[in-house]
Amino acid sequence: MKITSKTFFDRPLKNYGWAILSTFAVTVVGRALTPYLDLVNIVLLYLLPVLVSAVRCGRGPAFLSSFLGVLAFNFFFVPPIFTFEVANVQHLFALIVFLLVALVTSTIATKLRDQMRKATQREQRTLALYELSREIAARTDIDQVLRTLVDKIAETISGTVAVLVPNRDCGTMDQVSSAGGGDLFGEKEYAVARWVMEHGQPAGKGLGMFEGERSLFFFPVKGEDKTLAVLGVRPRTDDASLSPEQRQMIETFTNLAAVVMVRLQLAKEAERAKWLAESEKLHRTLLNSISHDFRTPLASITGAVTSLLEERDIYTPETRQMFLHTIRDEARRMNRFVENLLDMVRLESGTLKLNMKWCDLQDIVGVVLREARDILSGHPVNVDIPPDIPSVMADFILIEQVLVNLLENAAKYSRPDTPISISVSVMGKEVVTTVTDAGHPISGTEREHVFDKFYRQDSLKHISGTGLGLSICKGIIEAHGGRIWTEPSPGYGNRFSFSLAISGELTERGNS
Amino acid sequence: MSAGGARILVVDDEKQIRRMLKAALEGYGYDIAEAASGQEGLSQTSIFHPDVVILDLGLPDMDGIWVIERLREWTQVPIVVLSVREHEDDKIKALDAGADDYVTKPFSMGELLARLRAALRRINRSEDEPVLAFGDLSIDLAHRSVTLKGEEVKLTPTEYEVLKYLAQKAGRVVTHRQLLLAIWGSNYQEQSQYLRVYIGQLRRKIEADPSQPVYIITEPGVGYRLVTRD
Repeated sequence: MKITSKTFFDRPLKNYGWAILSTFAVTVVGRALTPYLDLVNIVLLYLLPVLVSAVRCGRGPAFLSSFLGVLAFNFFFVPPIFTFEVANVQHLFALIVFLLVALVTSTIATKLRDQMRKATQREQRTLALYELSREIAARTDIDQVLRTLVDKIAETISGTVAVLVPNRDCGTMDQVSSAGGGDLFGEKEYAVARWVMEHGQPAGKGLGMFEGERSLFFFPVKGEDKTLAVLGVRPRTDDASLSPEQRQMIETFTNLAAVVMVRLQLAKEAERAKWLAESEKLHRTLLNSISHDFRTPLASITGAVTSLLEERDIYTPETRQMFLHTIRDEARRMNRFVENLLDMVRLESGTLKLNMKWCDLQDIVGVVLREARDILSGHPVNVDIPPDIPSVMADFILIEQVLVNLLENAAKYSRPDTPISISVSVMGKEVVTTVTDAGHPISGTEREHVFDKFYRQDSLKHISGTGLGLSICKGIIEAHGGRIWTEPSPGYGNRFSFSLAISGELTERGNS
Repeated sequence: MSAGGARILVVDDEKQIRRMLKAALEGYGYDIAEAASGQEGLSQTSIFHPDVVILDLGLPDMDGIWVIERLREWTQVPIVVLSVREHEDDKIKALDAGADDYVTKPFSMGELLARLRAALRRINRSEDEPVLAFGDLSIDLAHRSVTLKGEEVKLTPTEYEVLKYLAQKAGRVVTHRQLLLAIWGSNYQEQSQYLRVYIGQLRRKIEADPSQPVYIITEPGVGYRLVTRD
């Protein structure tokens, strides 16, 4: 669909020729019909080319057709024939009336035709705008919006279009997209584009400013308070200008693009603000974590070590042993904190790489139970893993980390001596691993948030923790394409489960 | 514990770690020499003739992996890596370069001592002793038979080879690649899923609870280790 500047003036000769020819044809037909028709009827025949010219070719050819009709009728039909003399006053009257009727009808018909043409153009413009808005709305970054805008305008005016955006770093303008081929911007054009950028007004031939010899037009893409980009447009031929319709259309298109760009920019800023708030929260939590969660074990270690370093032998061997166990356990706790913090930083920064290998959950659970021995001390642990659990593709060490975190939570938030169980089962196309504890059941509203970063349950704030463990678990499991969730245990307590997809178990090779 | 005055070279740039290791290991009767850099470690190895080298990977002058490669050009002295690098790739790289074992910092002294003993055993004991015993589990290499609590365990030939290989390197970590290379040959170096399957089958035959194995334990992402209780 194209809106072009081709009105009837573009093809004048053809149109006028058509007016002359059709009048001539009517004359021939009229002459042939003279024996059968009255002169009054023949004059009506001459209205036909007038009307058709008015509708098809516009006012000029219609007027020409009217005058030619009068002359031809007079010459060929009104006695005395083959002269322009008029013998009868009645015939003179008929000629005058015919001329008036022809002029009036052609004027009305031309007006009608113009209205129709405008309606069609309006419809085309609306359609183009609709198409553009539909395409632009689907774009998620500003460059894509500009590219779509450029393509659409280039297509509609069949010319060359390019867009310049300000480069904030060095104060220049960069061409981000162009369509229609050809280099649009020279040194001088950049200067004009900068002017358009600064003043937010269009420039080019017929637009008031910078009427250069080349027909190049600049339109600002205006956001709420500043110009976002500058659109450069060159029609196909160098001397062509833009019709008011085209100009209007380009302006409508750029306005629409500007609205979308502003929306995208706002969304981006909101995202950035959210990110900043989160990273600020992260820093704050890290500081809190370092000052509290690291200092607490350090305090125990320092206390125990300085006691052991006392010169006087005041402690029994049992007490000394207790001090040493404290030091060991607290050092391990600190190491777990460091591991979790590192994992979180990797998840946050997107540098966490999954080392996907075939893993047996039984194997992972075995490693975890060895590792978590001192965390679980006091809690009887039940393990339920059927022997036929299929293998899963996963990062062994990260899944191990998830299980350690879940077990640490289970032990931390339930009374000593209460049982903790680990079970693995197949559900549909997934392997589900569940850790069940007998701790105080999490309330419904809190259940929704336990996997959020830094979230700590109000009722459990007295137990030290960073609020990171479960969010790390979630991050790791989701990176595997699995799910992690929590539900109340059927008895008393909580259940935390995660699922991993069974993706085509390898067949076990026969013994060689 | 008779260490028989075995000589240990500690290569670590952290003075605190060296001091602590020296005190602790001398307490166990070992003879200790120290080196603070890779270069010093290389030259000390040829002067001091250690029975085991404890090597940190993050050295100021060169990467520990490079030190392992240089040492392996001329000596088979056991090398136990002691490093803060916990990523499995680093462990595999060190082990495949010729290190005998890997201990991650922070470490427990008990664990390090066990690794050192396993490494020393390699030079003291020939690898083709006729019967290898680990608690209730014993492997008779001459008769290719395995018994658990005196009862014979039926193993397939491949299961037996896997167990035998682990047993001959008992106490030391064996990487997936080393095991695959020894048992399946060079075409199967990347096929660690075979191993996973055979280890699973072996555990079902020799472990009381395959979820909490006591003989063959998994070194996550690296390989397996047959545990010795000494």
